[in-house]
Amino acid sequence: MKEKILTKNFGLKNSFKIDVYLEKKGYTAVRKALKEMTPEQILDEVKKANLRGRGGAGFPAGVKWSFVPDVDKPKYLCANADEGEPGTFKDRYIMAHDPHLLIEGVIITCFCVGIHHAFIYIRGEYEAVALRLEQAISEAYEKGFLGKNILKTGFKLDITVHRGAGAYICGEETGLLESLEGKRGYPRLKPPFPASIGLFQCPTVINNVETLSNVPAIILKGADWFCQQGLPGDGGTRIFGVSGMVKNPGIYELPVGTSLRDIIFKHAGGMKEGKTLKAVIPGGMSAPILRADEIDLKMDFDSLVEAKSMLGSAAIIVIDEETPILEVLKAVAKFYSHESCGQCTPCRIGTSWINKIVKRLVQGKGEQEDLKAILRLANNILGKTLCPLGDAAAMPISSIVEKFNDELESSLIQ
Amino acid sequence: MIKIIIDDKTVEAKEGTTVLSAAKLAGIQIPHLCYHAAFIPEGSCRMCLVEIEGFPKLELACSTQVKEDLRVWTQSKKVTEARKGVLEFILAEHPLDCPICDKAGECKLQDYYEEYGLFESQFKELKEKREKKVSIGERLILDRERCILCTRCVRFLREVTKTQELGVFNRGVRSEISTYDGELVDNNYSGNLTEVCPVGAITDTDFRFQIRSWFLQKGDSICPLCSRGCNISIEYHPGFARIPRKKRVYRITSRENLAVNDFWICDLGRYAYSYLDENRLSNFLSSLNGKNKRFDQESALQFAAQKIKKLYDKKKISRMTLILNSWLTNEELFLVRKIFRDDLRMQRIFMVDPSQGEKDKMLLTSERSPNRKGAEEIGFDFQSLDFKGLAGKTDVLVMFGEYLLDLASLEEIKAVLEGIETSILFSSKESALVSLFGLVFPTALAAEKSGSFTNCEGKIQSFEPVLESWGESRPEWQFLLELSRELDINSNYYNQIESTTAVLEKMREEISFFQKEK
Repeated sequence: MKEKILTKNFGLKNSFKIDVYLEKKGYTAVRKALKEMTPEQILDEVKKANLRGRGGAGFPAGVKWSFVPDVDKPKYLCANADEGEPGTFKDRYIMAHDPHLLIEGVIITCFCVGIHHAFIYIRGEYEAVALRLEQAISEAYEKGFLGKNILKTGFKLDITVHRGAGAYICGEETGLLESLEGKRGYPRLKPPFPASIGLFQCPTVINNVETLSNVPAIILKGADWFCQQGLPGDGGTRIFGVSGMVKNPGIYELPVGTSLRDIIFKHAGGMKEGKTLKAVIPGGMSAPILRADEIDLKMDFDSLVEAKSMLGSAAIIVIDEETPILEVLKAVAKFYSHESCGQCTPCRIGTSWINKIVKRLVQGKGEQEDLKAILRLANNILGKTLCPLGDAAAMPISSIVEKFNDELESSLIQ
Repeated sequence: MIKIIIDDKTVEAKEGTTVLSAAKLAGIQIPHLCYHAAFIPEGSCRMCLVEIEGFPKLELACSTQVKEDLRVWTQSKKVTEARKGVLEFILAEHPLDCPICDKAGECKLQDYYEEYGLFESQFKELKEKREKKVSIGERLILDRERCILCTRCVRFLREVTKTQELGVFNRGVRSEISTYDGELVDNNYSGNLTEVCPVGAITDTDFRFQIRSWFLQKGDSICPLCSRGCNISIEYHPGFARIPRKKRVYRITSRENLAVNDFWICDLGRYAYSYLDENRLSNFLSSLNGKNKRFDQESALQFAAQKIKKLYDKKKISRMTLILNSWLTNEELFLVRKIFRDDLRMQRIFMVDPSQGEKDKMLLTSERSPNRKGAEEIGFDFQSLDFKGLAGKTDVLVMFGEYLLDLASLEEIKAVLEGIETSILFSSKESALVSLFGLVFPTALAAEKSGSFTNCEGKIQSFEPVLESWGESRPEWQFLLELSRELDINSNYYNQIESTTAVLEKMREEISFFQKEK
């Protein structure tokens, strides 16, 4: 077992307090970055570390930062803490147990890109977490890590916590920006990308909480060390959130590339007593489902793409044989139909149409052509929507229908 | 210019043009519903998806800008299948009420269905039930089942009128357009929403259930209700054989002119059209043989000419008064100037226009007539009219229009007119004035004549008749030309003129202002 980066302080008493964090050499990365490094050096280091976005898309963070143009406008950072992907609860743990890790990552990122105002957009349901985050931020102000003259370097930074109002779509980066601006959370057309025209029409970096929380370790220990913790093209560790029919559901910080079978059977303690594995959703609900015989794979972005699924937010949902796959399909179809923002046609009507068919299947009124219709409709959504939510709905739904066709057929009117 | 290739056709377009506009210029139509040239592209309907070389997914034609050597396919299998898929989604939640929908016949969704529809519905579920008759403005009705959520209405009110009365409420398939609590769409451009809406979701009570759109014919005209000169279409019913028609004009719609009114017209210009069909004067009237008897055109012209000529011959033309208005076209005002001021050397020429109204921040001006600027440029030097003192100074009064009613009460007018020997009125309207004048000529309205107006910004806009003339009415310019022949002064000049185009030619020769527009 290699070193822990993100969860190393989790077991400590009062791990969320700045005194504990400082005792564990917290904020030394900020000191190093602001006093010993130039923004260019930080950027190079993060690029070299191959830190890929932990929100789901896996875009290299350093590359994203380098897209921010040098213009005469304020720049912003938005930490995406709108953790809405079903099965995902890793960012909540980070913010609840080690909020200063996130704050430190935010400070270094802002220094690197030249940002003086950062927002943490946190999902509305995380009320207690938001409170804890705000307390941590005020501690950081008191100790001089935030504010007008950080560590007497002249660098200034403010952090504002903004609570969402409960829409999944506001976790989509441009929907998040609209929401933060006080508007309806409709995703924006891209291009322009937020790096050039983002929050309040200004250049904006949007990173996931876990992504930002990796930055202090990269600064302290270097890119080479970070790569060694994971894979060469996909550095560091991941917090795998395991839920479902395992003995020990919870979060597991493990190197990128750990095998899915090991995560379930070694780290999470295997299946619950008397349960057998039927299927795994490996990266949050929007990831295509894997059958029990498909879990011998490494948990990194590229391996999962090869397996025609995705690593996404690394939330692993374990489904046992006794759970009817129709129930899984119902949950997925209902979620996306409920959470579609309604802006673009294929997602608005497609997800609702599929949900209506699935409801009929659940009532035992499904017919043979309904399964074909679901696949056809999912295909008509795929790649044709304004934002990734359409794909996020179409991919898991198609995969469930394709891989568990026989079981689903048995629920149809014969 | 940037060269791109659309469906193997090389197309040139300016930098910043979108693929959709570039294609349109090249005659290639890409279907779209949410896109409107006046608004920032929203990209939500997904009908305009096209294939672009080098892009893994289909891209939006409405928001993708042209780049050198871009290769675009608008009819490939991948594109048409996506189009059919999107259309199927829209239709799945769209009611099948075209037979009672006012948009039928001019509905973009209906057109695309004919072109790309799958015809056999595969939607076995229940459509969402929504409200079909929501009042969202004084005249506006919203049908939420027909709404396809293109948000053109929302964007019109956000980007054009900036009044923002509409928004999208709720989420997903339950999304709906609505006004904010207890409020209504309340601005002078609300009627444009019926045109902006690509389907029959927003209709107005004025046109709702009146007539099927395919029975209407359309003609280009210029709105005469203020001095902006908005470009309009007059939509009228040509009439069925043997069935008397109730009215000719069913609606006024806007016509695109980026130099004048963009794509819009105000609600005054849109909804005040009943003046075209109501209270119209049909005949020549005279009080010579009793009260308001029908008269014939030839005698009317001869009578008027004789009275004027008599004053002229007696060198008493100073006893004649002429009242004009700026609903007259440039051509008509020019003929008035030539005949009465230049030839007859009349001095007493006045202008009585409708009283001013409120202007707004967009198009509507305070002048309620279309050609004030034209009248100024033609070179009249209008004095203010002392109407009550008119009788003592006037033997012959010739008046165009009925706007005196805005200035004085009927009793006052009656008292003054009783002191005038000969009073002649040119009017399109069966107003209270008609019975007070000795001789009345029925005249045409702008929609029924050719000519031009000079708008408040000095733009000269010509138009042709859309509607047939009403009864015996004729355009003033024809009466003026015929009057000039009866008067027989400087007839060589007028004999060269047969049409308004010929008048405009003369104006261009004689007045430098009118030369600039060629």
